[in-house]
Order: sequence, then structure tokens, then C-alpha cells
Amino acid sequence: MSLITKIGSIDIRNPLILASGVMGTSYSTLQRIYNGGVGAVVTKSIGLNSRKGNPNPSVFALNEIRSAINSVGLANPGYQVFREDVEILVKNHVPTIVSIFGENENEFSEILNGLKDFPVLAFELNLSCPNTEKGGIQIGTDSEAVFQIVKRLKSETEVPLWVKLTPNVSDVIEIAEAAVNGGCDALVAINTLKAMVIDIHTKQPILGFKKGGLSGAAIKPIGVRYIYDLYERFEDRIPLIGAGGIMSGEDVIEYLLAGASAVQIGTALGVAYPENMIKFFISKIKKYMRENEFKSISEITGGAH
Amino acid sequence: MKKQTLANSKPLMGKIIDKQEECDDTYNFLIDLPVKNKTAKPGQFVMLWVPGVDEFPVGVAGYENDVLELGIAKMGPGTTAMLAKNIGDFVGIRGFYGKSFQTPKNINHLLIGGGFGMTPLKFLTKNLIERDDNLSIQIFEGARTKSKLMYLDWLQNLHEKDQIIFNVCTDDGSFGYKGFPTVALEKFLEESETPSVLYVAGPERMMKVIFDIGKKYENVIDMQMSLADRYMRCGFGICSYCAVDPTGWRICVDGPVFNTKQLEQISDFGVYRRLDTGEKQRI
Ligand SMILES: Cc1cc2nc3c(=O)[nH]c(=O)nc-3n(C[C@H](O)[C@H](O)[C@H](O)COP(=O)(O)OP(=O)(O)OC[C@H]3O[C@@H](n4cnc5c(N)ncnc54)[C@H](O)[C@@H]3O)c2cc1C
Ligand SMILES: Cc1cc2nc3c(=O)[nH]c(=O)nc-3n(C[C@H](O)[C@H](O)[C@H](O)COP(=O)(O)O)c2cc1C
Ligand code: FES
Repeated sequence: MSLITKIGSIDIRNPLILASGVMGTSYSTLQRIYNGGVGAVVTKSIGLNSRKGNPNPSVFALNEIRSAINSVGLANPGYQVFREDVEILVKNHVPTIVSIFGENENEFSEILNGLKDFPVLAFELNLSCPNTEKGGIQIGTDSEAVFQIVKRLKSETEVPLWVKLTPNVSDVIEIAEAAVNGGCDALVAINTLKAMVIDIHTKQPILGFKKGGLSGAAIKPIGVRYIYDLYERFEDRIPLIGAGGIMSGEDVIEYLLAGASAVQIGTALGVAYPENMIKFFISKIKKYMRENEFKSISEITGGAH
Repeated sequence: MKKQTLANSKPLMGKIIDKQEECDDTYNFLIDLPVKNKTAKPGQFVMLWVPGVDEFPVGVAGYENDVLELGIAKMGPGTTAMLAKNIGDFVGIRGFYGKSFQTPKNINHLLIGGGFGMTPLKFLTKNLIERDDNLSIQIFEGARTKSKLMYLDWLQNLHEKDQIIFNVCTDDGSFGYKGFPTVALEKFLEESETPSVLYVAGPERMMKVIFDIGKKYENVIDMQMSLADRYMRCGFGICSYCAVDPTGWRICVDGPVFNTKQLEQISDFGVYRRLDTGEKQRI
């Protein structure tokens, strides 16, 4: 039995990937999570310039639904500063996917070109962050823009390009189609869902930005449905990476059965002992594979269809 | 089972039931929390939401009968808005977050602090004086000037009752001796033949100086420092804006209190911190 996971042309040691924005602002946390046992890590989404993000509160837990809401708003140090962190990760052989975001094609291109000298595993295009007024969300909902960006970046690098989809659209297939036609190497779904929380004592939205994105257990069935729909449409033409509400090894299996080749985990790793959590995930996946006589991860992919 | 602390949740709205001026630009608040049978330990902190303004970390100065004590010093817009709150107003609380001070038996407890760093040390002092297995409890407090000394009356009172030894100093000599807390601390360490643990909370540069001093003395068996000079967003480990290099420890869950062994591994300690963008800034 092997956990080695194939995503297009790349292999990682198991199907667990740290999702963007969780434990991902510095090389040291990313290195720590990789040492903890995941197959690969995705950095916080990095932009052209440094960005403060939104005022606090910008992240809190909703324990009654095992979820979290955030409006971090792509706070990041800018790609020039972040190069240092990528350099250390690459030097330490951490399989790193750099998530990037921009407001338009040219911004994406500038960031990609500013980082492409590093042998990273892939670039993940964040076309889908709901927490900024400009940028992400418009691009990720406009299929023509998605096609143009992917096509352009594809012509500028040999490194695999993953496209992260937003669930906040009426027709995800149309956007996915545009990304695939543009030449992307994998699709990642889903990012957080538009959400908000209001305090009834003060009658005010709690997040400093008022509105945010929901992650964690509450969004899992939605993510599973997206992956199922995408697999129905593309089958094995494009690798799918499932994300959203994965809180256990069983949830990983569910995403694989829906059609994912690998998964990303965010909220579940934002805990005091992420290393224990990763071990727990892996042991549950192995147990399932043993009991169901699966020899490899790829045998599970799409099993529910 | 370990006794559970507050569930990690959205801000719980607590009512301010008391507000007292503590020293210049610093107020003490008592906040009634809508939860029962929960516990907090010295060194832990909460995320305090001032509705419509900001949310930021503050140390727990006390916790008894579901009433939380906080000491807030004026810095910028968030703390200023908190200081304008009055009895009856609601504020949001998330926590209790982070690791607490670890207090061995039969040692000298040396608590060293300044500014809002005194808040967790007040809570620690309260807990220590209830025990009968201490060699001594000593407080070393420093501030720029007398009006900036936190908990002055309270600590002096404990000193008079022989419950603690209070060493106090100011930069300008307006109260206590003129100079830094390190002077009295080194004097004690030089003369003492019994084991001591240092608990330090204050500006990080000061903590680094104390750390280097403490390492010179064999009778210092541990140093525990609260790295509270750091930017925080979530408070529970998900965002990593508070993380230190090269270990990837997050101040909010792996700290804020770190011991000697851990501090030696943190290359950032006393050198740089991260801003809200994730960029590094020299301390
Ligand atoms: C673990 C911990 C415990 C603390 N305990 C106390 C306490 O008991 N009493 C007290 O008065 N203060 C405490 N602070 C400091 C307090 O969080 C800051 O003074 C407050 O955030 C300032 O906000 P502001 O809007 O008033 O000022 P701003 O003008 O916004 O900021 C002033 C400075 O405060 C710091 N700061 C701002 N936002 C944050 C943030 N989200 N997280 C961390 N630092 C920030 C930065 O250094 C900044 O330069 C603690 C900080 C930490 C990390
Ligand atoms: C605090 C936080 C910050 C995030 N930041 C980013 C980001 O910068 N870029 C991005 O593509 N996704 C970001 N996400 C979304 C996650 O990568 C992931 O898609 C989503 O949270 C669903 O997975 P989960 O339920 O396992 O967390 C963030 C999520 C959280 C909770
Ligand atoms: S404040 Fe978010 S991880 Fe520490």
C-alpha cells in the first residue's frame, strides 16, 4: 500500500496538502507543517506589494459548527520580500506551491516572473479570494479573464499552474472550462464561501471588514459537490484537488471518492498541535485503504461515480 | 480530563462591571463573562473586541467567579476606544488563549516586568501568594516615571504584609531607585545561593537583556518570558502572523510564554518581529 500521490506530472508523499492562508505566512510555519507529515504546502497568497489586509477581528472560530470565518484580506509581505522565504523552503527541499494573486493579467505575470527562478512544485493562482474589494473575486467569476490569465502565464513558465476556484459563482463548470482551456495543470476547489456574523448585543457585524469567508466543517458537503461535478465534467482530463471542511481522514476519503486526486486542508490544521492532527489523518486513511484493499490513492479517486 | 477553558468561539459579549484608573493612561477593568466554571491561568491572554473599532490581545490579570480582570494601557485607536468604555458597556472576549507560566516548588520566584507586561504578573503573584511552597516571591518593576508604575499600591501593600519583596525603580528616580530592574535583580542573583525562576513580561528588548543576564547565573534554573510584543490576528493558531523563526512556533498557541530552552531556539527573540503584512521589522 502506498500513499504516494500523483497530481499530473508531480508526485508527493501523501495526498495531504496544507491549504493557502493557514500557517502559511512564513517559511518557518510551512516547514513545520511539512515536517509534521503533509505531502506538500501552499503558501499564503502573495501579491505584488505588501498589504495590511483588513482590520481585526479578521479571523475567529465558530465552534458550534466546527468552522471559522475570516476576512484577512490577503495581508502579505509582497513577492519581493517573500522570495527569501521561498528560497529557504526550496533549499530545505520542502515541496512548496506558491499561491499568487493579482488584480489583472499583468500583475499575475509580474509576480510569477519574479518567483519563477525557484524550483517550486507549482504555482496556485488564487482567482477566488472573497475578502478584497478589488482583485480576486471579479477575476475568478469572469471566464474570459480566467482563460487569458492562465494562457498567458502558461506561456511564461514550465512550472505547473494550479487554478483555485471560488464557490461563489453560479456556474463553476464554465470557469473551470476556461482554466482548463487556458492550459492549467490542476484545479483546486473550493475557497471559502461568502459569510458573515452579527453580534446581537451591539447589533454590529463582528468582522472588522463586516463580511468574510467561511471555512471548516460547515462547507464540506459543498466542496464535495463541486469536486463531484467537476469530475463528472472532466473525468481524468485534469487532476482535481479537493478542499473545504476536511476535518478527518474520513473526509479526505470522501473527497477522493468524489473525484479528487489530492486534498488541501486549512482550518483543521489551525490548532495547537497540527502535527498530531496530520498523524491522525494519515492513520485513518491507511486504515481505510487496508480495510477496503486499496493499494494506491489513485484507485480511490472517483470511486463514487 | 483537563479542565476545559473557554471554548474557542466568536467573541462572547461580557459586561464591564468595574473600571478604575490604575496609573497614567492605564485602567483596570472587571468584565462579567457569560460563561460558568471555566478557568484561566497566569500568562494566558484573551482577544478583546471593542465593537466597531478593533480587536487585540490582552493579558489576563485575574479571573475569579466568571469575572475577568484586564489592565489596559493606552497605545493607539483600539486601546483608546477601550479606555473610553464605561461600566455597563459590552465588549467581546475570545480565549483563554496560550500557554501559562510553569511554577516549580521550593524556589525563588522572580517576577520582572514593566508596562502592560505587569498584567500577567499580577495574576501570577495572586496565585503564588496562595501557596506555601515558595522560597520567596520577588517583584522587580520598572517604569519611566512614578505615574507609569502599574499596581503600585497593591504591590506595596503586599510588600508591607511580607507576602512579597517588592523592588521598584524608575528611569527618572521619581519613585524607588533610579535605574533599571536589572540592577536589583543582579544584586539578588549574586547574593542568592538558592534556585530561582525568572518570569518576565515587558518590552522585548528588555527581556533579551534579562535573558542574557540570567544565563550568567547557575542558580537561575529557568527563565519564562512572555513574548507579547507581537502582532496577532486569530489568537488560536490558524493565521500564523504571530509565528517566530526558525521553529514556526506561533506566539498565540505555542506561547506567549516560552522557557529558556525554547527561547534559545528562537532566532527572532529580541531581534525582529512581524508586522500585520507578514514583513519583518527590527525590534
Ligand atoms: C500576548 C499579548 C498580551 C498583551 N497584553 C496586554 C495587556 O494586558 N494590556 C495592554 O494594554 N496591552 C496588552 N497587549 C498589547 C496590546 O495588544 C496593544 O497595545 C494593542 O493592540 C494596541 O492597539 P491600538 O489600536 O491601541 O494601537 P495601534 O496604534 O493599533 O498599535 C500600537 C502598537 O500595538 C501593537 N499592536 C497593534 N495591534 C496589535 C495586535 N492585533 N496584536 C498585537 N499587537 C498589536 C503594535 O506593536 C503596534 O505598533 C498585549 C499584546 C500581546 C501580544
Ligand atoms: C485564515 C484563512 C486564510 C486564508 N487565506 C487564503 C489565501 O490567502 N489564499 C487562498 O487561496 N485561500 C485562503 N484561504 C482558504 C483556504 O485555503 C481553503 O480554501 C478554505 O479555508 C477551505 O478549506 P478548509 O475548510 O480546510 O479551511 C484561507 C482560509 C483561512 C481560514
Ligand atoms: S495570531 Fe494567528 S496564529 Fe497566532
